[in-house]
Amino acid sequence: MAFKWRKWNNILHRDIGYLAVGLTIIYAISGIAVNHIDQWNPNYVISQETIKIHIPENAKTGRIIDETTRQLNIEVPVESSFRPEPGRIRIFYTNQYTVDLNTKSGIGTIERVKERFLLYDFNFLHLNYAKKLWTYAADVYAVALLFLAVSGLFVLKGRKGFKGRGKWLTAIGIILPVIFLIIYK
Amino acid sequence: MCAGFYFKLLFREVVVMLNISKWLIIITVVFSATSLLAEEDGKVYGKGVTLEDTTQISDILATPDDYVGQRLMVKGRIVDVCKKRGCWMELAGDQEFQTLRIKVKDGEIVFPLQSRGKLALAEGVFEKIELSMEQTLQRMKHHAEEHGETFNAEEVKEPMTYYQLRGLGAVIFE
Repeated sequence: MAFKWRKWNNILHRDIGYLAVGLTIIYAISGIAVNHIDQWNPNYVISQETIKIHIPENAKTGRIIDETTRQLNIEVPVESSFRPEPGRIRIFYTNQYTVDLNTKSGIGTIERVKERFLLYDFNFLHLNYAKKLWTYAADVYAVALLFLAVSGLFVLKGRKGFKGRGKWLTAIGIILPVIFLIIYK
Repeated sequence: MCAGFYFKLLFREVVVMLNISKWLIIITVVFSATSLLAEEDGKVYGKGVTLEDTTQISDILATPDDYVGQRLMVKGRIVDVCKKRGCWMELAGDQEFQTLRIKVKDGEIVFPLQSRGKLALAEGVFEKIELSMEQTLQRMKHHAEEHGETFNAEEVKEPMTYYQLRGLGAVIFE
């Protein structure tokens, strides 16, 4: 009895397709986001505000930090501080606030960093920040996509299958990126 | 008969999937447990750190040419991180006003922006980068854009030379 390859092709295409839905949505959204990294920050929302506070003359680092925290009503603890140059201080708070201050004029900025909801996690997976085991999981997903692409060619028979319109649409799908390569490479 | 055949096929598929799922769960749990154990002293990035002794950042910056090409481990507070791609971080030195940049290739390691203010160990190869005038202008323009500053090309009079640690791994402590 002949092996019913099309039946198994379609079964596997269907089931692997279902398995791939979640990650394909994640990768697609993340792909669009990081594709425009020159126009925006796909991982973080960074807000900055100019501040002016009063720093007592000749105040030492500890006093400067206390005054900054008090005058800006920051309620979260200080992580650490750093002096990039004389007359400047950078204070890191645990809730992702960073204050950058001119210690003479009291003028500076307060910056708040927040991970973009869902998008940070999507990018984390898509761009493989974790490395380790996720590298292999991503490889398996890539192989699954490869299978879906090839098996999809043979799901349908006849006019709507690969031998009909399918071959033309597939050819267009290959020629388009080649054209971009020729133009831009 | 048809319905019976398809039910049999479906049942076989479900059994296969369950077997695969069982192994996937076991593998995931084992690797997660291993990762957690390894990270209890800090979160490891890239190849982590392998050297036993740290080199003071102040010593490196005092005579940088003596350290070019050497594999070093440094320790310091993270005072800045690349906001877009996490491809570099700056560690504060043991002396005031000194920092050392730890640079990695985009995507090789991604330093989280949330790590600013935390203590870190970083290991890599110390390198000297000598730029042409054009490269210097590009770099200074990029730096100004990163920090929201204005850039005036006329203020750049000569090509720059800078030093950095080409990062191989790091450990960031909570």
